[in-house]
Amino acid sequence: MAQRAVWLISHEPGTPLCGTVRFSRRYPTVEKRAKVFNGASYVPVPEDGPFLKALLFELRLSDDDKDFSESRDSCSHINKTSIYALLIGGEELWPVIAFMKNGMIYACVPLVEQTLFPRPPLISISGISQGFELLFGVQGFLYSGQKNDSELNTKLSQLPDLLLQTCPFGTLLDANLENSLDSINFASVTHPQKQPTWKAGTYKGKPQVSISITEKVKSMQYDKQDIADTWQVIGVVTCKCDLEGSMPNVTISLSLPTNGSPLQDILVHPCVTSLDSAILTSSSIDAADDSAFSGPYKFPLTPPLESFNLCYYTSQVPVPPILGFYQVKEEEVQLKITVNLKLHESVKNSFEFCEARIPFYNRGPVTHVEHKVSFGQLEVFREKSLLIWIIGQKFPKSLEISLSGTVTFGAKSHEKQPFDQICIGGTAYLKLHFRILDYTLTGCYADQHSVQVFASGKPKISTCKLYRFKLT
Amino acid sequence: MAAGSGRGLACLTMGPTSRETWAQRLGTFRASPSAFMAGPEGEDLGRHLLSDLRSEKLSEPTKISLLALSLEYPAQLWPDAPAAEAAATSLLDTLVLLPPRPSALRRPLLLAATTALAAGGALGPTSGASRRLLPLLLGLASGRDLGRSFGPASEQRTLQATAWECLRELESCKPGLLGGCLGLLRGLLGQEGAVQPLSLLLALALRNALVIQARARAGLQGLLVAGDWPTEGGPWNWMLAEEGDAHLQPQAPSWPAAEEGECRLATLELSPEEARELRAAVAQLLDASYLLTPVAQAQLLWLLGWALRGLRGQPPVLFKPQLVRLLGTAQLTLLHAVLALKAAFGEALFTAQDEALLLRRLTLAAQHPALPLPARLFYLHCLLNFPENWPLGPAGEEAAPLLLGSQLCRGLLPSLLHDPTALLARLHLLCLLCVEDEEKEEKGQDQSPRRYLEELLAGLRQRAALDGGPRALATLCFQASYLVARCLAGQPVVLTPLTHGLAQLYRAQPALAPHFVDLLDRVGPELGEPLKVVLRQEVVSRPGRDEALRWHLQMLARVADGDAQSATLGFLQAAAARCTDWGLQQALLQVCRALLRAGVGGGLADLLQALARQLEDPDGRDHARLYYILLAHLEEPKLGVALGPSLAAPALASSLVAENQGFAAALMVQEAPAPIRLSVGPHRAKGPVPVLQLQVEVLEQVYSLELRFRVERQIYAPLGAVHVPCLCPGRPTRPLLLPLQPRRPAPSRLAVRALYTTPSGLTCHARLPPLLVNFADLFLPFPQPPEGAELGFFEELWDSCLPKGTESRLWCPLGPHGLEALVSRHLEPFVVVAQPPTSYLIAIRLPPDSRLLLRLEAAQADGVPVALRTDDWAVLPLVGDCLRGLSVAG
Repeated sequence: MAQRAVWLISHEPGTPLCGTVRFSRRYPTVEKRAKVFNGASYVPVPEDGPFLKALLFELRLSDDDKDFSESRDSCSHINKTSIYALLIGGEELWPVIAFMKNGMIYACVPLVEQTLFPRPPLISISGISQGFELLFGVQGFLYSGQKNDSELNTKLSQLPDLLLQTCPFGTLLDANLENSLDSINFASVTHPQKQPTWKAGTYKGKPQVSISITEKVKSMQYDKQDIADTWQVIGVVTCKCDLEGSMPNVTISLSLPTNGSPLQDILVHPCVTSLDSAILTSSSIDAADDSAFSGPYKFPLTPPLESFNLCYYTSQVPVPPILGFYQVKEEEVQLKITVNLKLHESVKNSFEFCEARIPFYNRGPVTHVEHKVSFGQLEVFREKSLLIWIIGQKFPKSLEISLSGTVTFGAKSHEKQPFDQICIGGTAYLKLHFRILDYTLTGCYADQHSVQVFASGKPKISTCKLYRFKLT
Repeated sequence: MAAGSGRGLACLTMGPTSRETWAQRLGTFRASPSAFMAGPEGEDLGRHLLSDLRSEKLSEPTKISLLALSLEYPAQLWPDAPAAEAAATSLLDTLVLLPPRPSALRRPLLLAATTALAAGGALGPTSGASRRLLPLLLGLASGRDLGRSFGPASEQRTLQATAWECLRELESCKPGLLGGCLGLLRGLLGQEGAVQPLSLLLALALRNALVIQARARAGLQGLLVAGDWPTEGGPWNWMLAEEGDAHLQPQAPSWPAAEEGECRLATLELSPEEARELRAAVAQLLDASYLLTPVAQAQLLWLLGWALRGLRGQPPVLFKPQLVRLLGTAQLTLLHAVLALKAAFGEALFTAQDEALLLRRLTLAAQHPALPLPARLFYLHCLLNFPENWPLGPAGEEAAPLLLGSQLCRGLLPSLLHDPTALLARLHLLCLLCVEDEEKEEKGQDQSPRRYLEELLAGLRQRAALDGGPRALATLCFQASYLVARCLAGQPVVLTPLTHGLAQLYRAQPALAPHFVDLLDRVGPELGEPLKVVLRQEVVSRPGRDEALRWHLQMLARVADGDAQSATLGFLQAAAARCTDWGLQQALLQVCRALLRAGVGGGLADLLQALARQLEDPDGRDHARLYYILLAHLEEPKLGVALGPSLAAPALASSLVAENQGFAAALMVQEAPAPIRLSVGPHRAKGPVPVLQLQVEVLEQVYSLELRFRVERQIYAPLGAVHVPCLCPGRPTRPLLLPLQPRRPAPSRLAVRALYTTPSGLTCHARLPPLLVNFADLFLPFPQPPEGAELGFFEELWDSCLPKGTESRLWCPLGPHGLEALVSRHLEPFVVVAQPPTSYLIAIRLPPDSRLLLRLEAAQADGVPVALRTDDWAVLPLVGDCLRGLSVAG
């Protein structure tokens, strides 16, 4: 379950190496065990330079992807997970967990406590999930509240010390690195009996519980006979429980109105102590019908100190909140476009913002646009080949708006214009972004009565709902 | 803690040079440790580091950066066990010498000393540093007062947690190390203090102790009951560690697969009391497990699952209360640990309903949009490797679990919008579903996964055909095609459209030729053969524009064979005129070569002759000429071998040179070790000439074996070669008969050489050890005289030897079985008159034209006097040796 080494690599396309090792840490005691366990199949952890090169090559992030390379492009070289074998100095280093997020590559090599030949299935290696958890933890730490490069650098400089706390010998103690940052600060507090490790200290002050529900909808509307449109709501419930006592017991319930859409695919935070079987089995795999469990969804838990995601869920609402129609007609160098959008009457007509992005790919720069909008205004970004239709805070009373126009393109020059593998010829899309405050599409809510606290003092309960929307 | 970036601080307390020097040195080291260690500063780095840790001039942050280096690279700093021991001792000294004020150095010093000992292989009963470190760690961990030297109380909690971690690491590297402290650890778990490190250490030590004791066929021997604290400098109980030493224990065992560990644990005999204690300890650990962080909970479950698996009288139901809680979470490690328990205990812990629920949760997690992609992909992997209670398929192969129907998988279908990895993973699942659905489809049911699959593949091909698209798109398309061909090899209904789709893709984008060649090299004949045919048609039927020519030639070199010769040759003839540069000419010749191998004759000869004249490049012309000569002079099988993969490593500059090496190897006779072993079998005394019976032992398969013999000193007439068409190891062989024509009757040696063809078509030559022909091997009997006339016949021969010949007498010693045995064993065919057991008259014909007559009469117990006559005096010494040899042989 231990890791032999961890790396953070920033991907820098265009530079000679295409990347830089920003952080690396090796665990020699684990390496020693690897040598014994792997026996003849043991391959040592390489130095940073060769590792960087091999990893970028394998992930297709180095610039030399022009020619066919058998070791990378062969049809039998199939990766179905984020776990790779890297060819370094004629030997194959396996398993290497690696993924990229926001231009940063997170990588580690878990210990396999047996011979590597024949390769054991990944499911049998405990270090795999531990490695993922470590990398997710590091990622969470680097990007929590981080806005710019200098903040990232500060966090990177804290990393060696944090890993010394949470992973001193390669075996991860806590994936929540910020917890450790707290525990460094809480170091002087004496530990009472039965203090959970995931709770660095105890809260002192006014009791307060805040719950926030955020829903996103991902919808794809093709307006085609043979492809079904899809729309799915993804919800996350975030909580912060400021309660005294080392292990206060809390029950939080989520409720739905009578016509609400049932919550499905519920995944909970590990601090939830038990789950009703109806919650455990409610799933989008089954065809939705009236018999689906519609709450209330009760979550008994012992909250940690920090803000945490109590649960994630999905839901299938009966109709998409906004119905879109987008048509593109090619006329020589011009494209004739027509867009109609209709807000469903059941949806709250009050947006924080609402805009439609209309990108054009695999063409030259936009040289000229003629358009007519029934509502809002259109902004043109010529160099990016992008139109943005700003709809604003509200749809008009009719709840229907439209845009029509022609777009003219200049000559195609390969380097600058965006490439897309889907938008070929007449295939195009527009993306709708909006946010509605204090509203959930499923109707899911938490209120004053949703929180039961088995501790002294009556807490102040605050709840909020947020609804974000992305329509393609 | 002030460990982070403390450079500003450092400037206040010391001169900048030293700090700067270290910063620079560490930077250079980290950039490439091997290069640094090979440089001038490498050798002393470890020593300098240890001494500078005590320097008062260096600031704490600098020292921490030195310790950080020692935590990562102890093997480079202190490469052997004595150096590691010395380093650990020095680090412990530095720790003890720290002034009693708060210091950020204590924690990294403890970690560094532990790392040095464990990684350097110095941990053991003879190591002084180990004897100091272990009680110190245990004291710190258990929170006992260690005096003022261990810093202020504010630091105690951090140090306590660190000490537990150090102990756990030492136990991991040396199983059984804490076996003697199990009771103490259990006692501490009930008290206040850090639950997590203690739980993990106890679980690890418990598991290790169980395995070691099972191997020693001993019980737990009261290990779980509290004992005394080891003291600093006092004796440490190394007993279990020494027993477990040779066997590093997997903390998380690989999948059960009934490996030996299970059997070993099953041998552990626990008394009812011990079993109760063990159950109590495990229950105690599990009950407190919710206090651990999720990743630590997962570690605990893996360890305990491993500890209890296969242990008699320890039902896994103890885990049950934890499961419902764990199944609801989104935490990767926890769900993975549940799967490990599932694999370890199967039906004993998971009923069929539980299994279905787990599968459902896993399916849900594999497609949950709120989870990060790498986690979803891993869940999908788990789904295809799901440890079922009653698996149907062969172990170790990915398969869709029985309970996972297409209904459950609806959300896991691949789409073009997916990331390549996700697409391939989901495509694999889809293929597995297609296999299952084959039967249903035959019955004509609706909406098939197969149709979905076809549309997806078509979409992938469409993207791969894009001009100027990234190579990754092409690679993805071919990977998907390969996956489908592998999973659905038996379904022509899938492979036929795939074949035609790929042909279309080639038509649209010939630059993908390397991908096609790669695909053809890797797929089975089910897709490979038809694909080859359509691709060849595709190439030869449309000559294409010039830029595509090199791709066409590359393609044709892979797909050309004996079929459709005239179209292929026509294409090549047309192409030859456009092959103006070296690269194209080589590509063209590669196709010719492929045709040569395939045994294409007539038309190719004309083409090669034309190329040998017409190509601009001399290398190309030479090549064409060489191929022509080979074609004209070699038979087809030999040609195949000659043009097969070159035995010589391909050399660079001229491809002709490289190829010539290949030809030379293939066409010349190779020296090789002997493929057979020959020995002389029993003597057969009959016929007009002596015949050697050669016994053959076959070591390798050979064809057209020719054995050539050369007689030393030409005592016999030259021997004809022996031919054998085929010899196979393990198949019985008949002895080979080798007639000898002695020029005089004398023993000799035959030198033997073998020429043969290997199964791969190479001609080889081997020298075999020489064969000895003994004097007795040349003996032949006289024709049988008519009955009753034997004595007269013998006497006539006897008399005829003189005066030309010679007579002699010698004493032939006899073995325990006497004369009768000697004669019957060696001389039976030559006896003319016999009066057993004491008297025999023997007549031997010695080719070419000599005779040897023996009278063995009046034998005594220990020997027999032999009177002999021969008409060839030269054989006398040989007879003496021979007879003495016979008697020794018994």
